[in-house]
Amino acid sequence: MADKNIRTVTDVICPFCGTLCDDLEVDIDNKEEKIVEVRNGCQIGTKKYFSSNPSVHRYDKPLIKDNGSYKAISWDEAIDKAADILIKAKRPLLYGFSSTECDAQGKGVELAELLGGILDNTASVCHGPSLLAIQDVGAPTSTLGEYKNRADLVVFWGSNPVHAHPRHLGRYSDFIRGYFRKDGSNDRFIVVVDPRNTHTAQLADMYIQLNPSEDYELINAIRAMLRGVELEGDEISGVPKKIIIELVNALKSCNYGVIFFGMGLTQTLSHHRNIDAAICLVRELNDHTKFLLTPMRGHYNVAGANQVFTWQTGYSYSIDFSRGYPRYNPGEFSSVDLLMRDEIDASLIVASDPASNFPAAAVKNMFKYPLISIEPHHTPTSVNADIILPPAIAGIECEGTAYRMDSVPLRLRKVKDAPGDCLTDKEILERLVEAVKKKKGE
Amino acid sequence: MVDIKLKLKKAPEFPLEADVITPDQFAGKSAAQIKKLIVYHGNEEKTLGEFFDVTGNGSEVNDIKIIIDGDLSNVKRIGEKMTGGEIIVNGNVGMHVGSKMSGGKILVNGNADDWAGAMLNGGELEITGNAGNYVGAAYRGYWKGMQNGVIKVKGKIGNEALSWVTGSKPGNRFPTLLCGSAGSFLGVHSHGGTIIVEGDCDRCIGADQVRGTIVVKGKINRILPSFKKIGEVKEIELMNGEKIKGNFIEYSGDHSVEKNHSKIDKKTGNISNSSNGRLYVAA
Amino acid sequence: MRINNLILITCRTINQGVALEGGKNTIENVRAAGICAFDKEDFKKLDCPVGTPVKVITEHGEVVVYSTISEEGPHPGIIFIPMGPWANQVVNPDSQSCGTPTYKGMKASVEPLPNGKVLNAVNLIKLLKVA
Repeated sequence: MADKNIRTVTDVICPFCGTLCDDLEVDIDNKEEKIVEVRNGCQIGTKKYFSSNPSVHRYDKPLIKDNGSYKAISWDEAIDKAADILIKAKRPLLYGFSSTECDAQGKGVELAELLGGILDNTASVCHGPSLLAIQDVGAPTSTLGEYKNRADLVVFWGSNPVHAHPRHLGRYSDFIRGYFRKDGSNDRFIVVVDPRNTHTAQLADMYIQLNPSEDYELINAIRAMLRGVELEGDEISGVPKKIIIELVNALKSCNYGVIFFGMGLTQTLSHHRNIDAAICLVRELNDHTKFLLTPMRGHYNVAGANQVFTWQTGYSYSIDFSRGYPRYNPGEFSSVDLLMRDEIDASLIVASDPASNFPAAAVKNMFKYPLISIEPHHTPTSVNADIILPPAIAGIECEGTAYRMDSVPLRLRKVKDAPGDCLTDKEILERLVEAVKKKKGE
Repeated sequence: MVDIKLKLKKAPEFPLEADVITPDQFAGKSAAQIKKLIVYHGNEEKTLGEFFDVTGNGSEVNDIKIIIDGDLSNVKRIGEKMTGGEIIVNGNVGMHVGSKMSGGKILVNGNADDWAGAMLNGGELEITGNAGNYVGAAYRGYWKGMQNGVIKVKGKIGNEALSWVTGSKPGNRFPTLLCGSAGSFLGVHSHGGTIIVEGDCDRCIGADQVRGTIVVKGKINRILPSFKKIGEVKEIELMNGEKIKGNFIEYSGDHSVEKNHSKIDKKTGNISNSSNGRLYVAA
Repeated sequence: MRINNLILITCRTINQGVALEGGKNTIENVRAAGICAFDKEDFKKLDCPVGTPVKVITEHGEVVVYSTISEEGPHPGIIFIPMGPWANQVVNPDSQSCGTPTYKGMKASVEPLPNGKVLNAVNLIKLLKVA
């Protein structure tokens, strides 16, 4: 149906989760510059496109808190006030960056270095432990296309893609037909390890229910069994030994296996050691067959934030510039630990909502000090901010680069104009950098 | 020995990075010169004199004894990379105390925060209270952690102490940790460390241990499935030749690691006694 | 009836994801993330109708959320709250110095609170702002 008022953009990259689906079709009403239909996307991605339309939840002008209520101000004034807050701070925190494109992230690094602040991205509360483990023991990984075409054994450990990465199964890991896996799902053996019989587990060929927070012991037992060690006891981490033997045999006998792991490993006790053990398990399995692993990244460009921060500073997250050069130590310079120790005296939050996602005690400390939020929507963070700078949403209202969970860079598309006075994240950060430079006399 | 006394004037608002508080930095400097040494407070450079009263002049490194009074729980990196002399801290101390030190002695009369004695390469660190996580551990991404020296903690220590510790019999390096009780992942990825725990430990002790000896005189919350029970022993010989008497159950492991020196003979099924990778728990 | 010795795990759900993108201060977000999913058998012990507000208590805090029966059971002894502001009132902020808080595996108790009020995300977080 050809409608003059509607334009269609195809091959759109969805800026929601790390799967970065690249086949969306978006219909936009030309007159109102509103999205009216999204095809091929999952429920969440579709919702993200619709919520970019102007609404009561969306900011379209810079706002400043004045006697408890918000007042619209010009961009120049807003940038000036924000720069003042950041320069005055002795230990400012720049956090977020995972839901924006790579150029803006690069500007964030520049700003953090200028300010001598702390730079962190959302990996610090999700896959940070994976990065720590990779630094310790390396990581045998590959692209999702490879898995799609070759993998005949797929393990989801502590991840629930049906809910968190809704199209992952359909595009890469289960139902999709691959070059060597012509019969899709029937050619793959799916294993799910989780304390809960998740919807992903309900689709699986083998489901292993283990006790919460005991993943390390189970991986450890599997590794020992692979090396021919006879284990004592009847069950490990709540899993009967018979089932572990079955699992070990399945892992060993596949042609090409992959482990996708999620928050179930990184956010439980022993955090990065879980991943460390999982990587060592994969290394061990490569004595028997081909095996790889990939983290299920949440935010669509958190992998990009890690990439950009790494090539610009040498470190992927939790970076401290207070001594003029980048230093790195999660636990010491990671946002939640800093906030728990009450070390921060101002924060700039870019494309993220730490008030919703950090533990309450950390949020309490964040609210004690000036807070600047670069955020398109009303969120628990932005409604408590002192200055709100409204950006265009990357991937919908501006172009840019994003990295998929397997670190493949993809070019995001612009499908419509941003409402009101919104600038892109990159422009806002650029102007902040300029203002800070000017005020510091550089 | 020459005493140099430091007294904290005011509690720092942000963590104070005072890696200049070492006998090496103080050597040959007068009190006035020591006061001018740079410390980092937030993103600003300050002088040591702004935060501390300093009395006494420095001489030779090995003759210097630094005595610090006050609550230093927000002062980081005291004694970092020191090579000789002595530091006594009367009070709690912040992160990275004595990290990468290679000689001399630090005594903390109080508690220490995380990374105490991280990647220690010689000398002695003694803490009379508790210590945080990562005692004597390897910094992120390093494959060699503590390589020599001794850390003694009277109280409890946190998780992941002595990760990637690397000792060597031929090299005569015996990195050792003595502590009251410990959290989980004690001696993870150990390559020849010696750890003696007077009390109890949490889970995953000696995870991924390739070589090394861990002696627990109390209980372990959960022993990893990849550790194999060998039997009961009445005497333990440590790597440096010292002996501990008592009734212990001997385990070998971690058997999930590829390069484990306590190999299992494929024909006989016996565990080779040739080398280390041992965990002893009180019977 | 109060149930003790449960294990609390936070998780992602698709409804929480949709609500998160659709406006965080909406009632949909409360219905998607301000909930606690129980195992069927555990829920019987609560002795209240499904949907009754419950108070979830851990050593790190407490929060009132709606009760529901898990579609992803059985998982006796384990309760789930979707990731979000409600869950974060009760999670363990300690990261064991690795940077990532322990969002999963806290010991928790639950008691039904038929007259309890489940706050929306913005009002819940506002409580953390000390005037």
